[in-house]
Amino acid sequence: MLVAGVKTFGQVSQNYDSTRYKKFLPDYVKMQFAGGIGFISMGVGYTFFNQKLEVSYFYGYVPESVSTDDLHSVSLQLTAKLLRYKINPNIELMPLNFGWFIHHTFGSEYWIKLPDHYPAEYYWWSPGRNSGVFLGGEIKTKLLSNKTPASGTAFYVRAGSRGLYIASKFGNATIPLNDIIEFGFGVAVYR
Amino acid sequence: MRTTLKILLLIGIFINTSCEDLFDYSPYAIDFSDENRDINQRNIERLLNCKNDDTITIAFTGDTHRFFDETELFVSAVNKNPAIDFVIHVGDIADFGLPKQYLWGNSYLLKLNVPYFVVIGNHDLVGNGSQAYQEMFGDLNYSFIYTSIKFVYINTNSREFKFNGNVPDIKWLDNQLQPSIDFTKAVVIFHVPPTDSDFDASLKEAFQNSLAHYNNVLLTVHGHLHHHEIYKPFADSIPFVNVFGVEHLKYNSIKISNNQFEVETIEF
Repeated sequence: MLVAGVKTFGQVSQNYDSTRYKKFLPDYVKMQFAGGIGFISMGVGYTFFNQKLEVSYFYGYVPESVSTDDLHSVSLQLTAKLLRYKINPNIELMPLNFGWFIHHTFGSEYWIKLPDHYPAEYYWWSPGRNSGVFLGGEIKTKLLSNKTPASGTAFYVRAGSRGLYIASKFGNATIPLNDIIEFGFGVAVYR
Repeated sequence: MRTTLKILLLIGIFINTSCEDLFDYSPYAIDFSDENRDINQRNIERLLNCKNDDTITIAFTGDTHRFFDETELFVSAVNKNPAIDFVIHVGDIADFGLPKQYLWGNSYLLKLNVPYFVVIGNHDLVGNGSQAYQEMFGDLNYSFIYTSIKFVYINTNSREFKFNGNVPDIKWLDNQLQPSIDFTKAVVIFHVPPTDSDFDASLKEAFQNSLAHYNNVLLTVHGHLHHHEIYKPFADSIPFVNVFGVEHLKYNSIKISNNQFEVETIEF
């Protein structure tokens, strides 16, 4: 009875696996350094429209060693890969990625909705959730595809800024442009 | 394997040295360099080492928010005025309370030829701004005595502390104003004036009483409202000076001598 049960379950799970389950597996995992969303960030996501669009979700961590307090945050990102060149069968170059992100930092001081002790519209921004844009480039290789189930590994760089920084720079010629740019780089392993 | 390790090590060194300012980890990461730390205390020491006569002239600005270019103009105007002994910023140096805005604001003030002091404003406290202020400037309430005048800087941003009854710290203020042989008069500096709705209404009277208690407060100076006005909100006749926000391209200088003061407006 038990054996039969397990067998049935095994069969169901196998069917499930091959038909639907895989669809919901993330298309890639990413690990990113800096870029304003964490010292180290781990992300998963999906590709759409023949890999022209990516939707990623990151968890980012800033350790105490590089900030006064450690920080935890999550961010949601949309990346459009506007150009794609196949250099050779193993290497693909995507030199123009454009992205938008929304970044949420955890902690009561990083509120999203203006707390009750303020009159309406006292502060127009929210410290806990702000968004920005970035430009980047990526090289996709076949690395890891031989030894693992992964189809390839990509390396990417990005340079972006967020609304709060752009608003600070606005009207201020004396603020250096690179002060508002958040650089980052990372690696993505594709399924 | 050894080559990989070497490359990783090199990348690590590269990140940790040359590119510290290039890579951002979070808008709330606080990682200030030494010149951006302990500003108030270091300037107290600087000021006490300055030669002084019996006239003190202070240039006031404040509410600099995102008026960075205007702040630079203020700094060059003050640097051209040899009469100024030191500068006081009456708060709101960081519009969104961001560590990066603290750094930007301070980058201009660092170019002042004279010592400077910053009092905490309500905007400076948003997010982890309180921590950034303490790292960069020091305690939220502080004081020093210069040529027998005591300068008392007090946090009056009650709303940012949910009107918890401890901001401003009346006991601390009273203690600071207690007469001693070291000073004859006191100047009290804060961001939010007691007449404002951001000031804890339940502490307004206690604050007023504390200022009047020892009859030694020459004047108080504040910001928050951006315009300039000299007024006496309470019957005890302590004058309040509201100083210009930097965006007006005007600053107020206050000259103190013989326990008297004089306010001037200078355009830049």
